[in-house]
Amino acid sequence: MKKIFNILVIATAALMLASCSDKWLEVESKTNILEADYYNSADRLFSGLVAAYDPLKWYDYFYQYNSLNMVSDIMADDILCGGSNDSDQPTLVKAHYYTLTPADQPNQIWTICYSGVNRANIVIAKAPSIEMDETTKALYVAEAKVLKCWYYNILWKYWGNIPYYDENLTFPYSCEQIGHDEVYAKVIATLEGVIDSDVLPMKAAIGDEGRVTQAMAKMLYAEMVMYQNDDTRYSKALGYMQDIIKSTKYSLASDFAGIWLESGEWCDESIWEINYISEGGIRDWGAPIATGGSVYPVLIGIPGVTGNDFVDGWGFSPVAKKAYDMYSANDTRRDGGILNFADYAAKTGNTYVPRWESTGYFLLKYLARKGGNHGYVASDNLNYGNNQRIYRYSETLLNAAELLLRTNGSSTDATNYLNEVRERAKVSDETATIDNIIEERHLEFVGEGKRYWDLVRTGKATTVLVAGDPAGRTASWTENKKYWPIPQSEIDKSATTLTQNNY
Amino acid sequence: MTLLLLGLSCVAFAQNRQTVTGKVTAGNEPLVGAFVTEKGTSNGASTDIDGNYSIKVAKGAVLEFSCIGYKVQTIAVGESAVINVKMEEDVSFLDEVVVIGYGVQKKSVVTASISHLSSETIKNTASTRIDNVLKGVTSGVTVTSSSGQPGASSQVRIRGVGTINNSDPLYIVDGMAIDGGIDYLNPNDILSVEVLKDAASGAVYGARAANGVILVTTKSGEKGNARVSYDFQYGVQNPWKRYDVLNATEYALMINEGLLNQGQAARYADPYSYGEGTDWQQAVFNWNAPEISHQITVSGANDRVNYFISGGYFSQEGTVGGNFGRSNYSRITLRSNTTYRIYENKERNFLNKFDMGINIAYSHTNSSSITTNSEFGGPLGSALAMSPLQSIYADDSESLLAEHPTARTDPWNGKAYSIVDGGVYNEIANPLAQLSMPADQWWSDKFVSNFWGEFNIIDHLKFKSSFGTDMSFWGDTSWTPAYYYSSKLYRDYSSASMGQYRAFTWQIENTLTYQNTYFDKLNLEAMLGQSAKSNEGLSVGGSNKYLIEEDAYKAGLWFTTGTQSAGDMSVWGGTYNPHRLSSLFARVSANWDERYMLQATVRRDGSSNFGPANLYAIFPSASFGWNFANESFVKEAAPWIASGKLRFSWGKNGNEAIGQYGYTTTIATGNNYAFGNPGVIATGAKPNGFANENLKWEESTQTDIGLDFGFLNNALTFSFDWYKKITTGMLMSMPIPAYAGDSAPTGNVGTMSNKGVEMEMNYKLNLGDLKLDFGANATYLKNVLVELGNENGWANYDSHKIGTLTRGQNGYPFPYFYGWKTDGVFQNWDEVNSYANSDGTLIQPKAQPGDVRFVDVDNSGSITDADRTYLGKGMPDWTYGISFGGNFHGLDWNLLFQGVAGVQVINVTRRTDLYYINLPSYMLGCWEGEGTSNRLPHFSMGSDDNENWRMSDLWVEDGAYFRLKNAQIGYTLPEKWTKKVLISSLRLYVAGENLFTATKYSGFDPEISSGGTSLGIDRGVYPQSRVYSIGLNLKF
Repeated sequence: MKKIFNILVIATAALMLASCSDKWLEVESKTNILEADYYNSADRLFSGLVAAYDPLKWYDYFYQYNSLNMVSDIMADDILCGGSNDSDQPTLVKAHYYTLTPADQPNQIWTICYSGVNRANIVIAKAPSIEMDETTKALYVAEAKVLKCWYYNILWKYWGNIPYYDENLTFPYSCEQIGHDEVYAKVIATLEGVIDSDVLPMKAAIGDEGRVTQAMAKMLYAEMVMYQNDDTRYSKALGYMQDIIKSTKYSLASDFAGIWLESGEWCDESIWEINYISEGGIRDWGAPIATGGSVYPVLIGIPGVTGNDFVDGWGFSPVAKKAYDMYSANDTRRDGGILNFADYAAKTGNTYVPRWESTGYFLLKYLARKGGNHGYVASDNLNYGNNQRIYRYSETLLNAAELLLRTNGSSTDATNYLNEVRERAKVSDETATIDNIIEERHLEFVGEGKRYWDLVRTGKATTVLVAGDPAGRTASWTENKKYWPIPQSEIDKSATTLTQNNY
Repeated sequence: MTLLLLGLSCVAFAQNRQTVTGKVTAGNEPLVGAFVTEKGTSNGASTDIDGNYSIKVAKGAVLEFSCIGYKVQTIAVGESAVINVKMEEDVSFLDEVVVIGYGVQKKSVVTASISHLSSETIKNTASTRIDNVLKGVTSGVTVTSSSGQPGASSQVRIRGVGTINNSDPLYIVDGMAIDGGIDYLNPNDILSVEVLKDAASGAVYGARAANGVILVTTKSGEKGNARVSYDFQYGVQNPWKRYDVLNATEYALMINEGLLNQGQAARYADPYSYGEGTDWQQAVFNWNAPEISHQITVSGANDRVNYFISGGYFSQEGTVGGNFGRSNYSRITLRSNTTYRIYENKERNFLNKFDMGINIAYSHTNSSSITTNSEFGGPLGSALAMSPLQSIYADDSESLLAEHPTARTDPWNGKAYSIVDGGVYNEIANPLAQLSMPADQWWSDKFVSNFWGEFNIIDHLKFKSSFGTDMSFWGDTSWTPAYYYSSKLYRDYSSASMGQYRAFTWQIENTLTYQNTYFDKLNLEAMLGQSAKSNEGLSVGGSNKYLIEEDAYKAGLWFTTGTQSAGDMSVWGGTYNPHRLSSLFARVSANWDERYMLQATVRRDGSSNFGPANLYAIFPSASFGWNFANESFVKEAAPWIASGKLRFSWGKNGNEAIGQYGYTTTIATGNNYAFGNPGVIATGAKPNGFANENLKWEESTQTDIGLDFGFLNNALTFSFDWYKKITTGMLMSMPIPAYAGDSAPTGNVGTMSNKGVEMEMNYKLNLGDLKLDFGANATYLKNVLVELGNENGWANYDSHKIGTLTRGQNGYPFPYFYGWKTDGVFQNWDEVNSYANSDGTLIQPKAQPGDVRFVDVDNSGSITDADRTYLGKGMPDWTYGISFGGNFHGLDWNLLFQGVAGVQVINVTRRTDLYYINLPSYMLGCWEGEGTSNRLPHFSMGSDDNENWRMSDLWVEDGAYFRLKNAQIGYTLPEKWTKKVLISSLRLYVAGENLFTATKYSGFDPEISSGGTSLGIDRGVYPQSRVYSIGLNLKF
């Protein structure tokens, strides 16, 4: 009996010692990998890169509806706000009327962009210590850098003076805010570095559509240089545009209307699109970052429409009548890009129920079409497969034409580039001037989120964007509307290290 | 019958010994099984069936007579060889010993705040779940039934809402910490429940005790022959209340009024032609739903073995959908508690005794449930929303089924249920059609066992070691046929899904206890212990579409034809992260002559939830007590004070349930993007957010001052406690800017305060054969969220179509009801136009007569979001219970009243976003012209520029109630009758539950809790039932 006691005493004493050890409490996770153990292969670095692409698809719905083209267009003159009434989406209405406040604005754009910056920085930071093929590594890092530049470009255009960092923040997560010129300088230098290292392909291989290419980087470069009116870089930007043209990897699609169909996605004209997929789409109201389609087509969809072509939508982003009227009747971009409902109704007998700011004109380019969400799994509304077109080859041509004129280059070449775009639209040739190139951009890119920035950079905004048009807009655009107010929550959480913009 | 333990040989001492015999009696009856021991030795004997004993003792020995339930008597042997003893009943016996965690303590020397519930109390509450047992019977505990659904758990809060995170208490059953629900426990198996309320009593459970600890002790056998008992109960349940909604005529009138108020034409030409219409509640409720329980117990003990074996079966049909098999619960429980004296040697004072025991419990439960407390199409919510003009069945079943073959039909008469207008009802369907769908079936199997050994190392020093396991399996199976409820609610394929879960916990604990008395007056007990616990689990499940045939019996994953390539099939599952706890603890208790008491506890907990920076948490506590009634000067000055004790305690407890790996960064997958044309998903991964490596436990610090009084030989007792409990380091996302680019880390940033007063009173009265007892308790609680810890000091929680309902905010109770205050209804244009600020601008420019006047709380000159304010809260200020019991000549009775006060309920069972749905009757009181109503606005179908029905005090009602929770009358048949058929006792009884409720609340039931922050939000709660039952207790 004593023996048993002794054994028990020893056993329990041993147990007590064993159970006290710190090691025993360090439990390895069975469901997760620690960050410190993760980034160790090419595949895993690539997964980090995919995560950096991920925020691209959140803009259309991230608890706010902020499709980038729509948010800038409603501040310009072609696209109205719409929706059920002026309190449907107050943040959009305030952008529309230039009455944004630090607390009330489409501030999720800010959050999404910085998520992208953070994720791109992770790829850049983790890459050096990973043993992998150096060419592949350089490619991934280059993509991450361009993505970061793209996200900063959005922040820079909307807010101008922003916190900027190239290495992710640590406690207490505070970062210096720099001026818009300084942001430009940093981003453009990064872009130049990537472009000149020439590790990106000019065009994505089949299956890689959606990834950053040399052409995309160069388009981004030109966009920023032109928005900054940085004449020191015009010739470099022009060279980049001519590189794209000379590469012959891209060309205009012959049928303008066809670009906007599912079959037109990634056509030869397409330089970069944000990819949305409807098949297996699991985006949902509580899961805006899940992979799938876009809600934007339904958001701008025709309210209460009958018939078998279009889906009953929410009536945002009506097209202004004057935008439809500015085209000549034979311009294929008019009815290829805009739906004139009266014409459509005359042909089909279909009807719709007008909502706020309805004009009878709809942005055909992205309208929700029947079956556009084929194969969706989660929300039917949130999973339209329409890719968001960011850069098209026609913009390359118009950029090149404008930059030629701005650098006193060949006006013949400029006119040729311009007319290549006009001829595709089935309209007559013109001689290129800065003004008619800007007007051509107006015609070419209705609803594509280019117009507002063109008006701002060319100084036309103060004369074009005036009070009373649309009716509820009581303020005219002024230079201090160029940068939105810094979101109030960011100022609150940054212990007053952020200076507010004078909006 | 003399029981000399282990038959020890006493020959060596025979020459100095003498034999003492005698009879032990109590009242005039012989006392069987009383112990007679020679004081200071292990020599002892017990009395036989006639109360006689015989013992050989040393000359000049002192004998000690003891028996459970009687006061111990000590008698010196002297010269006499016969000693007859009359034992005195110990009235305070049941309360005498309190379980305190790793030990027991005499109630008279307890210095902490602990509520003790005996098995008698538990029996009187007639509960089927241990959490409901606590309702109304003890102070300091707020129990809110989440719903009347069978098997539904209750929300239990000990001394308030301790944290904005999980505030559930820790349950310890026979020393084993139980995770994942304790409905495996059969209340009939419970000997006692102790609620450790203050920090000093909880401190021995350290990092898990911040929200209080509930200690459950299960029964064991009593000395003597095997006792066999059988208990049976059968009850019928009905909803105790119906919600008053419009009948068909009232409905048609109201809809017409609403349309006319919008300038539209009336819809119903002759409202009075519709009569009463369909009574949807009548149709949905399962009237006279049965409830049944059987219980068999065999128990007994001798000097070597103590056993308690029980088996129980309980089943309950729900009052909503129970007849469709949609809301039912059944439970089988088996238990075996056994203790063995393996070894005993009274000859020496070291290694002289070794006991072992094992408690094994198994339970199997089956349940099905309906969606409850939801305004989005739970059957009950739908029944309230259905128009009384809507018929239950389709007018023409055949043509409806021809058009919609998957429309639901009545399982009894085959008639098709009516299809509702999807445009009107959105996600609401015919509730009977919903109920006719197959139920999701939940099941669980749980084995909890605890194996222990205890031996005396030397006198006064004991070592106990225990090893416990808790193995749980649970899962659900469900299938859904293709169905058609309405144009908005249908599915054209069938599907099946199954999930299984498994969790395994083991726990090893070792304690060393020293107990001794010095100078005859200083009682000292010291305990040192160690505990280690580990928990692991896994889950696996899947679903698939397209059943081969819609056959309820065969429905399952095997029986489906969906393919993976088409995306029909899905599988999920994996292992859970292990959770481990390693702890050391020590406790010292001392008292001087039971006058001055002191107890100090310290526990060090290491948890796998803590990061390397804070791996161990230390929780100290101390408590003091003074039994002033034992002081001679008090005895002289106030002899009528039978007992009196002043208590003071202070301590810290922790909450280690802060999630796993919060201190480090792990990788999150699912950050995907599609490349290619058409896009193919590429898998993306990133860190899951910023980490806070300094993350640690939440900590609560509590001070308690208590006073206990006993009068009339302790027949009348009072107890009073005041406490203050501050929780610090509550977890909350830290306020970091979004520009950091990832989700904020969690930090220990919040503070919560709970203060309260608790009172208990008991009175026992013996008037000859009439015995009466009376008990009352009351709890007052004041909860304040001191600091939420985020940058704006508030966070909104529950919401509804009418807006945010609840908010947590610094300086307010957590959470509170948040919305606009109203100030009557604008009776005419003058009133609208005179509601202006100082410069004459209208405060409500969009209002018209009949609209609600909202209060401009912030005096901004307009009604904005900023005018929302405090409108009430779901946690009562006062919780109280009153019980009356007694017995007289075999007749016994017990009444338990229970109630709350100082509490509000948000009644949001009405949807404001749907037109043509039915309305509560209070809507008949809407404004219809000047002077008609100064509370409810005009009823309007359509646009409402004034937003009359936004979240405001119009939705908030008084949630106080007073309820006759239980009533029982029993009669025990005279023994002389039952003995003839070998039955030692037979009791028959009738009982009722929720027989009477006094409340001003208009909804189904004022008791509502469906989650941490949704206490008091009624979205169509499943009401508790009124139950009438009969039963019998049979003992052999």
